[in-house]
Parts: sequence; structure tokens; C-alpha cells
Amino acid sequence: MNEPVIDGGAADGTAAGWASTVLGGLYAEHNRAIYYLALRLLGDPECAEDATHDVFLKAFKKLDQFRGQASMRTWLYRIAINHCQNLSKSWHARNVQSNAEEVVWEKAVARTESPLRILEAKELGQRIQMALDSLPGEYRLLLLLVADEELSYEEIGALVGQSTGAVRGKLHRARKAFTSLFEGAPEKVKS
Amino acid sequence: MKHQTKLTKVQEQENTAGRETTLKFASPEEALRYDAAQTTVPPRIAQRLKESLSRAAGPARPWWRNLLPK
Repeated sequence: MNEPVIDGGAADGTAAGWASTVLGGLYAEHNRAIYYLALRLLGDPECAEDATHDVFLKAFKKLDQFRGQASMRTWLYRIAINHCQNLSKSWHARNVQSNAEEVVWEKAVARTESPLRILEAKELGQRIQMALDSLPGEYRLLLLLVADEELSYEEIGALVGQSTGAVRGKLHRARKAFTSLFEGAPEKVKS
Repeated sequence: MKHQTKLTKVQEQENTAGRETTLKFASPEEALRYDAAQTTVPPRIAQRLKESLSRAAGPARPWWRNLLPK
């Protein structure tokens, strides 16, 4: 029996019915993590909405291929990362010529000992997006993954194709670079 | 939590005006976690997903296909 499991519809068609299905339960458990990753990788709520839909649809169609060697969260992240990277590549190829070099961030001088402060919660998302957008993609992804407390360094390493030691080293530099950018961002962000 | 971080709880401080809130985070991860918790996932996604899954399910597998070799 290798037919993909795609019957996610609830018999009664209600939201509660959907949530009680296997697919509904998986979506309920992981949708925030996947949407947030897509939002901050792509930087656009509409793109993130489309990406989240596409990632879960892809995952549900391939659910029979999930071997349980990794956690469901890790498996979904892998699909999401590939999907977002493909979208970013095509978008950046059309619109952006990146000049972000890792060496720049390795030399970044940051006030890592001081806490990150910000006025008003509503500005937080904009400030975070600005800082993330200025980071090399590898650092951006590492920070987003390590922020998920369900992932171990080993799982993060597997997702980004790096050893645990390399992940730790790069995370150190990523934190410094992010802090420097976050603190350097204007206090009030125009919408 | 499986990996070690030096996170502390988010601190919120009311300023003198009493209207703005200063958020203070001990690390980037803490700021990202707080931001993620504040982010609302559009409810439309679940609805779109249900519709897409219904379309993808298509008609039931014909009984005679069970007789064919895989």
C-alpha cells in the first residue's frame, strides 16, 4: 500500500472536524513554525502564506515517504527550506544582486553582551526582518532554526548539511552579526 | 529544550509615558521566539489546504487496479 495519504478532509467539513484528522492534527502542531520560517526567509506575508500552503500540501502528498528517521518537524522544515530557497533563488535572480559576504560578518563588531532592546512590540517584526535580510542566507537560516526549541544542534546540522561543531561556530558569528544589525537599525521603522 | 542557550525571559518595561513598551531580549533567538509567538498564521491557509487536498484526492481508486501488479 504505497498510495499517498491525501484524504485530509473531514467528514463533516467543519474546522473542528478537520482538526481531528491526522493531517489536521499535523497542521495544527506545526503550522506556526513553518509559517514563521517562510515569513522570515521570504520577507513577505503573502509569499509566506502561499509557501506554507505548498509545503504542507507537498508533505501530505508524500506522507507515505516519511520514514520516521527524523522528527516530523525536521522533515517539514526540510521541505520548507528547499521550497523557500527555490523561491528566493528565482526571485533574487530577477531582482537582487547580493553583495553579502560572510567575511564581512566575521569581522562584525557587535555588543553581544548587551541585551537587544526595542520600543514597542509592533516594531519588532520589522526590525527583525531588516536585520535578517541583511545577513547572509546561511546565518539567517541558522538563527531561525535555533530559535525553534524543538530542534537539537544535531538536527539543525542535518538540515543545513553541516557538522554540529560548524553549526555552533557559525551560530556564534550569526548572533554577533544579527545583534549588530538589530541594534544599528533605526529606532522607528517606517511602514 | 535540547540545546543549551543562555536565554532569560523577555522583559517588558513601561516607560514614563506609560504607553510604549520596551522589550528587552537576551539573545537573537529570544527575540525570534517572541516574534514567532506574536505572529498570527493566516486562517486562510488551512481552508486552502483542505480544498487542495479534496481536489488532490480525486476519484476513488478503481477496484480492478487492485488486481494489477504494483
